[in-house]
Amino acid sequence: MTTEQTFGFAPASTDAITDALVSFLTQRLKTEVAPDQELFKSGLVSSMFAMELVVHLEASYDIAIIGPELKLDNFRTIRAMTSLVERLREVEGLGAEGTGEDG
Amino acid sequence: MAEGLASEHARIGELVGDQPAEWDLAGELPEGLLRKLGAEGILCAQVPAVFGGLGARSQDNGELTAYTGSLCSSLRSIMTSQGIAAWTIQRFGDREQRRRYLAELTSGQLAAVAFSEPEAGSDLSAMRTLIRPAGDSIVIDGQKVWTTGARYADLLVVLGRYGDGAAAVVVPAEAPGVRVEPVTDPMGCRAAGHSHVRLDGVRLPASHVLGGGGQALSLLFTTALSYGRMSVAWGCVGIVRACLSAAASHAKRREQSGKPLAQHQLVARHLSELLIAEQVSTRVCEHASRCWDAGSADMVTAAVLAKHVSAGHAARSAATTVQVLASAGATDGHVAARAYRDAKLMEIIEGSSEICQLLLAEQALATVP
Repeated sequence: MTTEQTFGFAPASTDAITDALVSFLTQRLKTEVAPDQELFKSGLVSSMFAMELVVHLEASYDIAIIGPELKLDNFRTIRAMTSLVERLREVEGLGAEGTGEDG
Repeated sequence: MAEGLASEHARIGELVGDQPAEWDLAGELPEGLLRKLGAEGILCAQVPAVFGGLGARSQDNGELTAYTGSLCSSLRSIMTSQGIAAWTIQRFGDREQRRRYLAELTSGQLAAVAFSEPEAGSDLSAMRTLIRPAGDSIVIDGQKVWTTGARYADLLVVLGRYGDGAAAVVVPAEAPGVRVEPVTDPMGCRAAGHSHVRLDGVRLPASHVLGGGGQALSLLFTTALSYGRMSVAWGCVGIVRACLSAAASHAKRREQSGKPLAQHQLVARHLSELLIAEQVSTRVCEHASRCWDAGSADMVTAAVLAKHVSAGHAARSAATTVQVLASAGATDGHVAARAYRDAKLMEIIEGSSEICQLLLAEQALATVP
């Protein structure tokens, strides 16, 4: 998996992904959520919502979050999720491994 | 009925036949039959074709699960366990693990998933099973209870604590330090192979840890349980269908006071309630499967709703059916008697009715500002 590549095609803006996540979480959790706020440690995210979040990200950004990508570290904060989305979009966009086997 | 998986429906019907009563009385399923169904991909029909599975949609697998549940809830429980194991591996495993284990799970190897512990039932966050890294290996210590299907399983997917998060490990049942002790005389799903599992210093290569571990425990068990809830929900639809059919046939034929039972109004009401139960639980499961197949975030709540509604209907329908059949259904092994014992357990596993209600209450609160 690539972690440090630059975008080879028109990227979705990082801010747009972060903003969308801030508004999704704020709306669903009924409280202001900041991009760097710890979501799991604070007990803000219920077990149900953790899975909803994964499915929401997959559906919204046309990505598959599976295997090692499901590590807690990728979901600790909105910023962490934003970089996960960007990384996976890049992988999908390049048609690299990891796609096409979960349909 | 579903158009999908028609030959798998036929295959289950043919292999199961009229044996569920004997299996219930013996408290055991024939292992050869489980391996045969497993090798045909039927026990975890949603595994994508690229991994050797049938690639079924949730909707079609749901109808297959209901059909199995209408015949035998013990066999359906095995299907649920194998399906949860496959789904957990598909979701959390890395490329190599998905290839390897999903191929095994669709070629006759049987799997069970170990969640509950003596001190962690409804509150799975109290899990104590510990998975420790030790060089290129990991070591597991813990105790699991009521692991469905563990008695027959070749592979146990064990959930436990790992660092400050959690992990799921694929543990061969014959690995040194694993002890599987069947639950003696379970009240329902008597042949489903429920067992207590002890893990004492079980050492395995780190490659057995799905996705390298380090997931949030809540995400791990909610993901795994969501598949289980779908499967149990559809299995309960099957119980309700078996009840409806048994009660309606009996009420049509059996005469008392000079007319068929069905013409006694209080019995007729029971029949209407069974029909309502069958329709309501089918619809709520179809909705959940549609959410699942569409990849909608609503699937998480829809699965809880489907499980709660269907399990409640199954338990009430089974009690009603025993009432309608009376002495004709009151011997162990009979479809009504099995439904009565099996359905009650469905209100307990994969999130008790009370836990489902709490989760649904949270959902209710989330809909208002």
